[in-house]
Amino acid sequence: MNRNFAILTISFLVLIPVQVLVLEHMALFNLGFCFLYLLFVLLLPVELGHSKGMGIALGLGLVIDVFAATIGIHAAATVLLMFLRPFWLRVIIPRSGFEVNVLPSIANYGLVWFIVYAGPLVILHTLAFFFLEAAGSGLFWITLSKAGLTSVISLVFMITIQYLFYPKGKS
Amino acid sequence: MGQLLAFLFKFRAFFTFLVLEILCIWLIISNNNYQKTVFINTASGLVGSITESSDEISDYFELNKVNKELAAENERLRALLFNREVSLDSIGQPLIDPDTTDSIQYYLRTAEVIDNSVANSRNFFIINKGSRDGIEPNMGVINSLGVVGKIRSVSHRYATAVSVLNTSNAVSARHKTSNRLGTVQWDGVDPQKAKLLYITRDVELQLGDTVITSGFNAIFPKAMTIGFVSSIEPDPNQQYWDIGIDLSVDFGSLEYVYVIENRQKIEKDSLVQSDPLNQQ
Repeated sequence: MNRNFAILTISFLVLIPVQVLVLEHMALFNLGFCFLYLLFVLLLPVELGHSKGMGIALGLGLVIDVFAATIGIHAAATVLLMFLRPFWLRVIIPRSGFEVNVLPSIANYGLVWFIVYAGPLVILHTLAFFFLEAAGSGLFWITLSKAGLTSVISLVFMITIQYLFYPKGKS
Repeated sequence: MGQLLAFLFKFRAFFTFLVLEILCIWLIISNNNYQKTVFINTASGLVGSITESSDEISDYFELNKVNKELAAENERLRALLFNREVSLDSIGQPLIDPDTTDSIQYYLRTAEVIDNSVANSRNFFIINKGSRDGIEPNMGVINSLGVVGKIRSVSHRYATAVSVLNTSNAVSARHKTSNRLGTVQWDGVDPQKAKLLYITRDVELQLGDTVITSGFNAIFPKAMTIGFVSSIEPDPNQQYWDIGIDLSVDFGSLEYVYVIENRQKIEKDSLVQSDPLNQQ
């Protein structure tokens, strides 16, 4: 438990500054952003309840929003993600079930499971984010391609970061 | 009650989610200008289409009054036409200006008021013309009796306008006999009365004097009627007059209005904005 707490705290302390100071200013082909901070909310314990999860999402989203000058948009999308996460976790429960005090990361459940877990949630998050930002479906295809590219980039970053910096093996 | 609480508890995750999302959307709308504009425009489009259908019914009950107003306006315009001196020697006085593109400064569009309120302290009304008819924000709105308001936001088919009966809408005005400049502002109490502010004590006023637009702000043409002086009192600071005016427009029964497009507004505004004193 303490080990998980340490992992999450360090994730928070590293991912948020990286997101607001570095990744906010990067845009691939002027379309793709990288929402690496989602790795933090995705790694939160499986047992975490709805309300706590959405509370954390709101706070985190607002922090990102303040720096990105998009007050409320990141927060709204992240709250949506955290609302859907418990339902999705119930659907994709591994064959052996979730172990207690184990974070839903690649190290614990494998790459394929992590992609199945994070992929749809990240895609929904980016869709919500970009459609809120465009405030409607006026620029439908541009918004859609932004959301698609951003999801792919975010996922690639999340996976790479986990392989490079996160402890291996069961926690 | 117990069942209601049980229901709320059962779906507490969903209700928390709803509350947080509403909070986020409120934050988005109040902090991001672009999203705010989209929200207001969508809302005015939606509200417009609903109120227009209800207004179509009430139109029939107003036809009599509208006819009378139009007849009165026709009468006045005909009188103007007859009083215009027609010279027999038409060669000496070309009736048409040589350059007609410059001579037409104001362009009017009729519109029908489909929703209106006078009961709030900030009143707005909706008209059934929008961006597809060439309506733009900040155009003036008048009717045959006088000044009505300004366009605030525009959707495809509708536009919302700020009424003169809006405590945050001030109209640049002039006292007709003395030509002194002032500001007409509604005090939020009586929909037939407003205040004329900033007229100094040295001006001689009489009950019934006309208050007209100044034409300084490029929204309304010069010398449109706003109202008539109905009460004059010295204000407590002994510096200005405290003037009440009877508004010439009956806001409670607005039906048809004209939206004024000032073709020279952009030119005039750009001149005002290029003032080096205003630049930081």
